[in-house]
Formats: sequence, structure tokens, C-alpha cells
Amino acid sequence: MSAAQQAPLVALRGLTVAYGDDAPALSAIDLDIRAGERLALIGESGSGKSTLALAFADLLPASAKTAGTIEWEGTSPLGGRDIGFVFQNPAGSLDPVMAVGRQVAEVARTHLGLSWPDALARACDLFGRVGLPDPDTLVHAFPHQLSGGQKQRVALAAAIAARPKLLIADEATSALDTIVQAEIVALIRRLAAEDGMTLLFVSHDIALAAELADRIAVLRGGRLMELGPTRQVIGRPQNSYTRSLIAAHIGLDSPPLFAAANMSAPANG
Amino acid sequence: MRRRFLQTPEAVAGTAILVLLAAMALAAPLLFPGDPLRIAGPALTPPFQDWALPLGTDRLGRDVLAELFHGARTSLVVGLAAAAASLAVGAVIGTLAGFAGGLADEALMRLTDAFQTVPGFLLALAFVSIVGPSLSVVVAAIALSAWTGPARIARAEVLSIRERDFVAGARVVGMHPLEIAFREVLPNALPPVLALSSIIVAQAILIEAALSFLGLGDPNRVTWGGMVAEGRTVLRTAPFLSIVPGIALVVTVLGVYLAGEGAVEGAAVRKGLS
Amino acid sequence: MGKHLLTVESLSKRFHSGGRAVAAADALSFHIDAAETLALAGPSGSGKSTVARLLLRLIEPDAGSIAFEGDDWLALQGNALRARRARMQMVFQDPLAAFNPRATVARVLDDPLRIRRIAPRSERPARIAELLERVGLSPNLAGRTVHEVSGGQRQRVAIARAIATKPSLIVLDEAVSALDVSVRGKILELLADLQRTDGIAYLFISHDLGLVRAFAHRVAILDGGRLTEEGDARAVIDAPRSAVGKALVAATPRLHRLTGQDAS
Repeated sequence: MSAAQQAPLVALRGLTVAYGDDAPALSAIDLDIRAGERLALIGESGSGKSTLALAFADLLPASAKTAGTIEWEGTSPLGGRDIGFVFQNPAGSLDPVMAVGRQVAEVARTHLGLSWPDALARACDLFGRVGLPDPDTLVHAFPHQLSGGQKQRVALAAAIAARPKLLIADEATSALDTIVQAEIVALIRRLAAEDGMTLLFVSHDIALAAELADRIAVLRGGRLMELGPTRQVIGRPQNSYTRSLIAAHIGLDSPPLFAAANMSAPANG
Repeated sequence: MRRRFLQTPEAVAGTAILVLLAAMALAAPLLFPGDPLRIAGPALTPPFQDWALPLGTDRLGRDVLAELFHGARTSLVVGLAAAAASLAVGAVIGTLAGFAGGLADEALMRLTDAFQTVPGFLLALAFVSIVGPSLSVVVAAIALSAWTGPARIARAEVLSIRERDFVAGARVVGMHPLEIAFREVLPNALPPVLALSSIIVAQAILIEAALSFLGLGDPNRVTWGGMVAEGRTVLRTAPFLSIVPGIALVVTVLGVYLAGEGAVEGAAVRKGLS
Repeated sequence: MGKHLLTVESLSKRFHSGGRAVAAADALSFHIDAAETLALAGPSGSGKSTVARLLLRLIEPDAGSIAFEGDDWLALQGNALRARRARMQMVFQDPLAAFNPRATVARVLDDPLRIRRIAPRSERPARIAELLERVGLSPNLAGRTVHEVSGGQRQRVAIARAIATKPSLIVLDEAVSALDVSVRGKILELLADLQRTDGIAYLFISHDLGLVRAFAHRVAILDGGRLTEEGDARAVIDAPRSAVGKALVAATPRLHRLTGQDAS
């Protein structure tokens, strides 16, 4: 939509990241994220998609060697305040011995300068917004009392607590089952729209990316293979690797794989 | 791995001490051939008087340096053998208890409790006084008092490992439960158990010294504890007879601890890096 | 009873957590024929993995019966059970967790050959090489530890281990879920191939209806330990009748939902 005409929120030029003496995890990546868009980063394991997400959030480990530039529109953002991050495993990013409401309030207090009561009230609001049932009770719950989907909703609440400009979801739905995944993806889409957040959605699932993103970036072995509007990348992929990813996708319309002799319907390839 | 292990200063110091100790133990029969308990010179020669007897002689005219070297043999042999025995017994009992679960687990753990409530040294003391002092009895006595720690740790480790998929996988291919316990589970439960080994070796050396001090060591072997006991009667006139083996004990136990610390730290660093 | 490879009747299993009893399997009945793939689909917590563990006798049911190859499967114990396990094997979701972390590829494959006395010691290296080739791997991999090979190769080793004892049924518990898409398709082709040549039946446990539809002959949809819907995989998924079936289909991501185009 209008995202295509907007100025980049962040511009990446020649970003190279290497861990130790291994081959670089990312090689000379040029990539813009436009303000207000939903950009999906897709790739298989070892493609460098998570490294790229971490680079945007300035969360790369200190041992990583980087080259290239990341330029932000206006002032450089502050991680946690201007950039919200949701990881694949919410259990790992939540403190197991702190009530989940406090963890969300902590973010609001630190970055928005709220008093404790105000921050807790905001946590309550946020719990309602991310669709957690009975927010007033649930803010006092501990992570182990929540289901995987609920934990991911809490992680989302914490990520957006300081009203970030950019929300990064790194395989945020991969550990969830299909139904919960669809709910969380719908929630992420709604939150981004309501708050005018830019979304960077990292996934191995090209179909999921196709459903959510305005643009798709395809990574392989640390290199950017293809970048374009979803309709074009999925419908008329230019890169052979993108084509192979699409061909390998097994969806609800894929032909059966099993032996023709056992089939109850006519074979089609 | 070796390089990383030797990076911490305590590991270097500990390893140096242990290497020196091992060298002493190995060199003892070469440098001081013959029975170290035989009379080598006039009784109660002080140290640094006679260069043939650098650390002097005791009440019976025995060469203190020769005794020190041969004593290192006893300390090391008892320490290592007792630690190996208690680790082996503890790991096997802990693995059986954790893997079998149910009644067998209950029975084995109550047995462990029973052993743990009796002070280890008293247990060893009672065992040696009943069976009679000899090197193997001393080793068994120490193992008897020290196997409970490894057993508890092994059991706790096994309880978590037995729920892992590869144990289920072993059952699915029809592996016998005993083979699963000892071939699949036990080796993976060992690292934290082995981390105990330095403490147990140090403990074993001290218990052996204490037993010898009380006259319950192997009478046919020189032991540092026995030397301290010997020197006790002439503590005022010839304190070096107790001090020299005492220092040897302190340095040895320190060396074992430091090397153990270094090994554990090295393992932690490796884990952190991978 | 005798006409199906596997017949499960009224299988029930409850777990107790925090004082509450949760039914992970609630009076489940289903069957699998030789050389057939039955998929179990359902949301997490629906009891899919519990069924796998019950079938493999990794846990014991509270009630119900299982007939497998004419045996009263639940009556088998000790040596008799271990011997019959050769005919029902399993491939786990995470092949790294499914192997002893210390094991080499050769040892992983040697175990079933040795335990079931399929080949004497001297012949086993050749049999291991044969198995590796069978699943599309180089026999040179035998000396590597399972850590040193890629995820896709590891899952092929898991399949080689499963077919080593010539089973008639393999339970695939999310066996391709953790793999990259490019690897996933090849593993599914390998499995379909083995089914064609050796007549192996599969119980294919997956939360991904796209995979189920492409790979399975029939599907059973579970919810809260109960079977809500069962039938021809494509018929059920193309037109689900149960609420859970509809929700699962609706939630499955579609490559072309947004673009509205057909696959080229």
C-alpha cells in the first residue's frame, strides 16, 4: 500500500557479520525497512535471518565481528524502548520467578518513566490488548502457570509496553501449534496496525510470511536472494532459490506424495 | 582442551603439585631402595645436619625423607583407589535407583540415607577395627564412607536423563533395561559425579592419615599419618618429625582441590563456549 | 480383529497434574492396515504424542486394547515384548535428542542389528553400510558422531535405525516438523519409497495439515484425547466437519491466500 512510498525507517548498507573464524553469517546485506510496513525475512536454518534480526535490534553478541552501516531515520533507537523483540521461546525470555505483570510493568516503568501503580495499570491494559483472559488476575501469574500461547502473548505485551516504532518477531510462532500460531499472527498484525508499528517478521515458513507481510526478503547462506512485494515474490519469483522454496512448500493444495497404487483419487503428478 | 584447562592459575598450581607428588611416589623405590622402615642412622638426627639424611631421622633412626617419599605412594594409592571405588559404587547404585524407580529406588535411597547419617570417619574406623588393618581394608573402609555423595548425584542426574528421547529410543529397539541403564544412561550421568572426585580423593587421603594416626593403618607401609603419630611422642624435642609429614598432607590435599577446581572451571568454560 | 495390521480399541490414558486428571487419550479406537499411512492431527495437548507412546509401550494405558500383527500387544512383557518391538518402530521429532549424544552413526545402527541378532558381528559393518545407502546416505558417515551430521542426515539415520529390524509399522512423531522445507520433502519421499518397496505402514503424527494431506491416506483428528473426525485424508481436510478440523484447516497458512494466484 502506501508503505512503498514512505521513507525508510532504517537502512542497512553492506552489513557483514561473522562469528569467530567461521564463514560470515551475513555477507554484504543491503536492506531498507520502510516505516509502517510488514517485512518478512525468510530462510532455512543457517540462512542468517536471526542474525539479521538481532543486528537490527543491536542484540548481536559482543564476539560478533561486524562491518557495514545501519542508519536510522532520526535518532538512533534504544533497544527495548524503540524496538520490541519477541523470541521463539517465550519461556527463555520471561523471568520464571517474577509475576508476568511485573515483568511487563518493569518495561513501561523503565522506558516511559511511569510510577509503579501506573506501570502496573498499563500492564493490565496491555494484557487485555494481547487477548489474555482476565487480565487483572493473570498479571499476578508466573510463567509456569501459563500455556505456550499465553506466554507468547505476555512476551508480546512486554515487547510493545514502551510503544516501540519497530516490532521484531523472530520465529515467534514456530513453537506453537497451528491454531495458536494463527491467533498470534493475527494479534501481531492487529497490534502493528493499531499502534502504527513497523513489523519485521522472521520465519522459516514462506506461507506464513506470505499471509502476513507486505514485502518478503529471502535469505540463503547469509546472502539476500530476493526482496520484493509479497505478491511478486510469491507469484513471480525472480530468484531460482525462491522458486525452489515455493516448489518445496507442501500446503493444502499440494499433490499427494504416496504410492499411486494406494491412492483413492486420480494421480496428478 | 588441555590448554584451556591449564589457563587458570589454580589449575596450574594444583597440577604442578600433583605431578610432583606422582613423581615422588614413582621415584621412591629408585631413590630410596629397600625398606624405608629400616634403621638408617642415629636416632633423632635433626634435619640439614647429615647430607645422607637431609630431613634427619626419627626416634628409631629411620630416614625421614625416605619415609616421606614412600608415604606419598601410600597416600596416592589410597586416595585414588578409594575415590575410584566410591565413585564406581556410588554411580552404579545411584543409576540403579534412579533408573529402576519405585520400590528399588526407595530401598536403595534409604540404604544411602543410613550410610549418610553415620559420620564417615566413624564408619571407616569401625570397619577397620573389625576387619583388621591392611591397605585394601583401609581403601574399602574409606569407599564405604564416601559412596553416598556420588550415589545421590548420579540418581538425580539419571532421573532427568531417563525421560529423554534417546532412552525411549533404546527401549523401542528392544534394548535390555540393564544395558540401557549402564550403556546409555550412566555415561551421560557421569560428568557431575566425576566433578566430586577431587573432593573425595582429598577426603580419602585425610581419612587414611587419620586412621594411620590412630594406629589403624597398614603396619607394613609408611604413611604420613603414621609418621605424625610417631613424632607426637617427641613433639617438644623434635617437632620436625610431625611437621614435615603434616606439611606434605596439607600441600597434597591443596593440590588435589586446586586441580579439581581447575578441571571443573575448564569444563564450565568449554560448555559456555559451545 | 485379525484383518488389520493394528487395531486399537477404547484406549484411555489419564495424567494427573496438580490434583486434576487430564485425559490424554479418551476411549480411542482406530486401525491401520498394512502399507497404509494413518495421520493423527490435532492441536497441541490433543493427545497425539500420548497415542504414540502408548502404542510403543513407553507408557501403559489405563484401559483399552491394542492388537498388533495378531498379538494382544498389551499382554506382551519382558523378553517377549522386546523381541516383538522389532516390528513396530518410531522416529522422533528431534533426532538429536533421540540419539545418545555420545553415539556414532555406526553405533546407532549397530544396536538394533546386535540386539535382535539380525547379523553376526562380522557382517554388521556391511549391513550398516547397506542401511545407510538405503536411506540415501554415504556409508562414510558411519564413523561420525550424530552431532557431526546435518539435521536432515540425522533424520535419515533415524529412519535407517527404524527400518533395521524390518518393521511393519513405524510411528513418525512429528518426524519432519523440525526440518527445513527443502529437506522435508526429500525425507517424505524417502518414507513413501520405503512404504512402496517394503509395505511399511505409518502412523504419521503431525500438526501440519498440508503435510498430512499430501502424505497420509487417512487422517484421524484428535481433540482433548478424543477422536473427533476420521476418514480419507483429502476428503476430511478439504471439507472438515468437526469444529477442530475446521479450525485447523482455517489456521493452516496458505501460500497464495493473499496473492489469490494458483501455483505456477
